Amino acid sequence: MGEMEELRKEAENLKDQITEARKVVQDATLPEVAAGTAVVGRVQLKTRKTLRGHLAKIYAMHWGADTKLCVSASQDGKLIVWDTLTTNKVNAIPLKSSWVMTCAYAPSGNLVACGGLDNMCSIYNLKGKDGNVKVMRELAAHTGYLSCCRFLSDSEIITSSGDCTCVLWDIETGTQKTIFAGHMGDCMSLAVSPDFKTFISGACDFTAKLWDIREATCRQTFSGHESDINAIGFFPNGNAVITGSDDATCKLYDLRADQELITYQDSSIMCGVTSLAPSLSGRLLLAGYDDFNVNIWDTLKGERVGVLAGHDNRVSCIGVSSDGMACCTGSWDSFLKIWN
Amino acid sequence: MDEMDLPQMKKEVESLKYQLAFKREKSSKTVTDMVKWIEEGVPEDPFLNPELMKNNPWVEKGKCVLL
Repeated sequence: MGEMEELRKEAENLKDQITEARKVVQDATLPEVAAGTAVVGRVQLKTRKTLRGHLAKIYAMHWGADTKLCVSASQDGKLIVWDTLTTNKVNAIPLKSSWVMTCAYAPSGNLVACGGLDNMCSIYNLKGKDGNVKVMRELAAHTGYLSCCRFLSDSEIITSSGDCTCVLWDIETGTQKTIFAGHMGDCMSLAVSPDFKTFISGACDFTAKLWDIREATCRQTFSGHESDINAIGFFPNGNAVITGSDDATCKLYDLRADQELITYQDSSIMCGVTSLAPSLSGRLLLAGYDDFNVNIWDTLKGERVGVLAGHDNRVSCIGVSSDGMACCTGSWDSFLKIWN
Repeated sequence: MDEMDLPQMKKEVESLKYQLAFKREKSSKTVTDMVKWIEEGVPEDPFLNPELMKNNPWVEKGKCVLL
């Protein structure tokens, strides 16, 4: 087909032009600029609490904005809201579908959401009048599994799916406001920018995309990984993106210069990255791996400066509380641990 | 990864044109800003400053805990 060939050539041409445009602004590298920065030395965090109660693999966790509560999702078919200080279970919510892959806590603390192989995102109201936690809305339209979800507010949530799209939903009406299409592989993870204007998605097409939520456009696409991107996060000031992949590396991408700055890798690490979270200042990157460990990286120097070893199976999820005081890890061993 | 059909390919080309138009800043500026931002934040980062964790809410103060 003539038109298809022409479009293919045009696409390749545009990609080459983008590569050129990136080279034009590359007049400094991170190692050069950070050469004078002092090293951080060994970082040792201890397990302060172990949250016991799930009966099967934990797939996801998310801190509440209050920095003391968190929600976790397990394939035992439960969402548990934990008081991490006392290890008490504030809520234990039974799910219709036990094949859950993601969970999220709304910034207000009023709602939690989850989803998975049921292709739906279910919203639960934690502050219902009679004290019972009930399903408030079931957001159904994705034709693939729900890999990740994040609230913008109590009325809007963004989801990523194995159907290669991300969707912005109106929770009130249960309808899709915007569909973000463009990835050529399952979308595995998403993160919302600190100013709530953009979000990033990581996919099985090995790329990360930055989306403008209101314009509904893909502003930037980042390549470089050699396998599926499983985890993605914003750098704390919103100016950079961190990705974690099955290729055993994490990468830092500069949004303003539109390019990759550094790769966090070590020849001794050969298993995939499952999850990641930056520390408060962004100087440390905590990343969970298939080999049961969390590696702590110095983001400026690219070196490993610590390890969190304590789980007996894959670390599937990780999060740092918004005040930077604690890190929570969740694992296939059914436990969550609080570290600092 | 799937092959694109014609409408998808047209959208991809449109998207690439939009992405090409992005106003890129020089990395000498952006990377310097980022390193500066991190360095300024390090003294407030609990994982890098043990003194900030002196009143660690997750550590028991006394010997017994009231359940």
